[in-house]
Amino acid sequence: MYYLGIDIGSLTCDAVLIDDSEKILASSVVPTGARNREAITRAADEVLRSACISEKEVTATVSTGYGRKRVEGRLTAVTEITCHARGIKALLPGTRLLIDIGGQDSKAIELDENGQVVDFAMNDKCAAGTGRFLEAMARALQVDIEVMSELDNGARGDLTISSMCTVFAESEVVSLIAEGLKVNEIVHGLNRSIASRTLSLIKRIIPDIAGFPIAMSGGVARNSGVVRAISNAMKSKVVIPPMPDTIGALGAALIARERYSHN
Amino acid sequence: MKDKSKLIGFTCAYTPLALIDAAGFAPYRILPMGDSPDQAGHILHENLCPHVKRVLDRGMQDDIPELSGIVFMNSCDTMRRLNDAWQKVRPNDNTLLVDLPVSNDPGSVSFFAEELALLTDTLSQWSGNNITPERIENSIGRYNELAMHLNELKKRVDNGTLKDGSLRLQTIYNKAATEPIKDVMEMIKQMIDETNELSDGGLPVYLFGNVLPDPEAFVLFESCGARIVSEDLCTGSRMTHSIETDKSSDVFKRLANGLLSRTACARTVDPINPGKMALDVVERANACNARGVIGHTVKFCDPYLARMPSVRDALKKEGISFLLLEGDCTMRSIGQHKTRIEAFIEMLR
Amino acid sequence: MILQHFEDQESGIMNAIKKNPESASPRKKLALETARLGKRLYSNADDLVWAGPLVPFDLLNAMEVTPCFAEFIASILVSTDAGPLFFENAEQAGYASDTCGYHRMLMGSALKGMIPTPKLLISAMSPCTGGLAAMENLARVFKKDLFILHIPQKESDHGVRILANHIRNMAESVSSHTGKVLDKDRLRKAMENTNKTRDILSNIYKLAQQVPSPVNGRDLSNFGIVLPLFFGTEVGIEIAQSFYDELKSRIKANRSGVPGERIRLMWLQNRIQFKNNLVKMLEKEFNASIVIDELNVITWDPIDPEDPYIGLARRSISSPLNGTVERRVKQIVKLAEAYKIDGAINPCHWGCRQGTGARGLIDSSMKEIGVPVLNLEVDCVDPRNFAEGQLITRIEAFMEMIESRPSPW
Repeated sequence: MYYLGIDIGSLTCDAVLIDDSEKILASSVVPTGARNREAITRAADEVLRSACISEKEVTATVSTGYGRKRVEGRLTAVTEITCHARGIKALLPGTRLLIDIGGQDSKAIELDENGQVVDFAMNDKCAAGTGRFLEAMARALQVDIEVMSELDNGARGDLTISSMCTVFAESEVVSLIAEGLKVNEIVHGLNRSIASRTLSLIKRIIPDIAGFPIAMSGGVARNSGVVRAISNAMKSKVVIPPMPDTIGALGAALIARERYSHN
Repeated sequence: MKDKSKLIGFTCAYTPLALIDAAGFAPYRILPMGDSPDQAGHILHENLCPHVKRVLDRGMQDDIPELSGIVFMNSCDTMRRLNDAWQKVRPNDNTLLVDLPVSNDPGSVSFFAEELALLTDTLSQWSGNNITPERIENSIGRYNELAMHLNELKKRVDNGTLKDGSLRLQTIYNKAATEPIKDVMEMIKQMIDETNELSDGGLPVYLFGNVLPDPEAFVLFESCGARIVSEDLCTGSRMTHSIETDKSSDVFKRLANGLLSRTACARTVDPINPGKMALDVVERANACNARGVIGHTVKFCDPYLARMPSVRDALKKEGISFLLLEGDCTMRSIGQHKTRIEAFIEMLR
Repeated sequence: MILQHFEDQESGIMNAIKKNPESASPRKKLALETARLGKRLYSNADDLVWAGPLVPFDLLNAMEVTPCFAEFIASILVSTDAGPLFFENAEQAGYASDTCGYHRMLMGSALKGMIPTPKLLISAMSPCTGGLAAMENLARVFKKDLFILHIPQKESDHGVRILANHIRNMAESVSSHTGKVLDKDRLRKAMENTNKTRDILSNIYKLAQQVPSPVNGRDLSNFGIVLPLFFGTEVGIEIAQSFYDELKSRIKANRSGVPGERIRLMWLQNRIQFKNNLVKMLEKEFNASIVIDELNVITWDPIDPEDPYIGLARRSISSPLNGTVERRVKQIVKLAEAYKIDGAINPCHWGCRQGTGARGLIDSSMKEIGVPVLNLEVDCVDPRNFAEGQLITRIEAFMEMIESRPSPW
């Protein structure tokens, strides 16, 4: 039996296919674009094709992400908070704090020793410190988002970006470029401001994070510069699971398996 | 009590400093300065006045001297929440929340007088000293003297006859808020005796608002071409004022009346004359011949936010230009306004 | 325009009940009386007094002066078509969007002449500084007098005494501004009515505590904050009685407010005042019911009809909208236990310093008794930035979390 998890985020649509032994058979990440349905089909097709499995063989599908209710034929829809928690429990058991920074929001999720969600906080309704924010900044810096993660190398690191509003930060970055600041300093400054924003989100649910095993998921977890900045700000190590952007979809697939056998 | 701290913390310019002094303590204002990390928002909420958040940050970071107690004033919602949060983050501190009416009608003055009597009892417990009426009168005398001297100094700054006037005046205000009154008085006297030195040009501007303790802010205003000819801030001239000394009436009533009748923060209302604050701003701007008015308030300050439209209207009617700045008590936030201040001054020239 | 809105609402409800008497419900009764109150406010026939929510309305009712509090009218105006326009109006006039939506709505509509002119305005420092400022601004716009009631924060004998005196002065001021006198017998009768209403309310709240609860998430929304407008009147008693009867009959018929109630919630602060799907979604998808709103509580003793001022003063001081967070939190924890809730939702009304400012302190106290709190970021009055999709995700995740953990009780 095969179980499919689909995570329809604002920037990417991810799919993960597992079997009865919870083994990951395939995963895919495609841009969401303007049409949710197309992205869902493409992401699902990709995993099925690479695992050589037909759609009919999928026992149950669970969807998550902001477009979760648009997936047809789903067993159920579950929020990304629960799914990310379930996914990380499978890959990094013992994690007590999960930071998930996706395309349009960031979350801090506190887990108990069994991996159950006990508290969570989400960012206020703006793109500050999220994937979209980084995209906008990469645009302002005229660098590729993929290379941005290593761009802070060698930065002295005393620059702070004070505006966290995407719009204002973009103009701040433009004026910093005009002042002749090096790109690596600016990127480092951006990473630091995302880190401080993330830390304040975490502190809302866990005032003292000392000794908490911490992991990070979501697309931004692939940006090593941001991860470094966050781990410096927290003075703690942050563990990144393999393929951090598909943790939500993995969680959804695992929940599909559980719910199906439960029913 | 010798090994205990001689300081009592306070956070609002409505605090009756003379009573703290009478108890044998020195008042210490926890100014929203320093670089304690941003934590208060998690205890309270991010959308709260940065003045209160920074004060709480200092408390959480233990970035304050040892205090024998802290007197909070119920001056606004956020101050009340500061008192609440303080109990949570520093449960071992002695604290008292003094209720502060919003107007100076007779009923409110008597209520406030009773609150001040209660505060006196509490201070007496904290210090172990018996606070006699004589001691209170003496302290009122001392603070009246401080107010007088500060006022003289302020006049020299307003007239522009003291070198680096507004920067040094703010430094003195901060000292007056945090250091023993004797030492501050000495410094003021020395400054008053300095010879006149006309400061160079700069456009006369009246500054009002709430919290702006960083002396560097005044350097910034001047570097933009403004000369602050009069200021009305809670970290500035609103901190001291004289109290009546006619001993025939009750000392607490006199203190209460003095505090509720002094130059008002936007949180204090005159019910007989709703919207009076706007008229006051116009009157003071005219009195000091200011060419323009700058309002500086910290973000999320409801009392000021609510009155700004009427202030703007009143100034417009008088043909006085107005620039409103919002900050968060850091120099960084004020620095961001540099271009706007410069443009404002250029516009007035 | 607004008068028309109330007239339409009144005739609409009356016609509906006439056509189908079965459809009469306590909620309709409350809406009907609210529409009638609105009509009185906007028809210029009565003497109006604008007052803060902690002002004793029963005293004003006893004087035959129509009381109204600012937040109440703001929540009605937001449901009219012109709602968004009033916000824009306020912001264009310089009222910052960082401030409370209730007060912005009030200023925006007052500047457009959409708020009836009172004879007098009465405000207090509680619940909030912003509210007092809004009343001062209204007094300026209307060119009317402002009376300030100083409500002490602490429950102390000297505070109660002083407030009692102040309430007496307030009544005199209302008299001199309206020409209406405070008749002793009418005052006594009003206090008796208040006490009757109080008793029924306390019975209603007892019924609501049952598991499963006879109330659904909508029955008692805004109840504890709106009903005081009718304190001291026969209508107040009737409204309360109709709610009591309805709940009683549901219990008799073994009918819970939300069919198959599985999750019991508390709503903190105030409700979202404009149309939204959150409460229905909770019911439908999770069989979750908001069984208690923070303000649906009686914190005061019956008032002595012969000497009402002390009792009225104690009542205002005891309100959860007054005083320290410590007191508010104690009250919330007590409610959490009495109603056996699984979780609480705090909308964190944007721009509310006194209420939202306590977010973290409420969280930590609820954590101690094992009740999770969901903090939202909502402007409860201004629908322009309402991100329903994102809120639904948060609420759903919260429900998933509650479902996966043992009940705290």
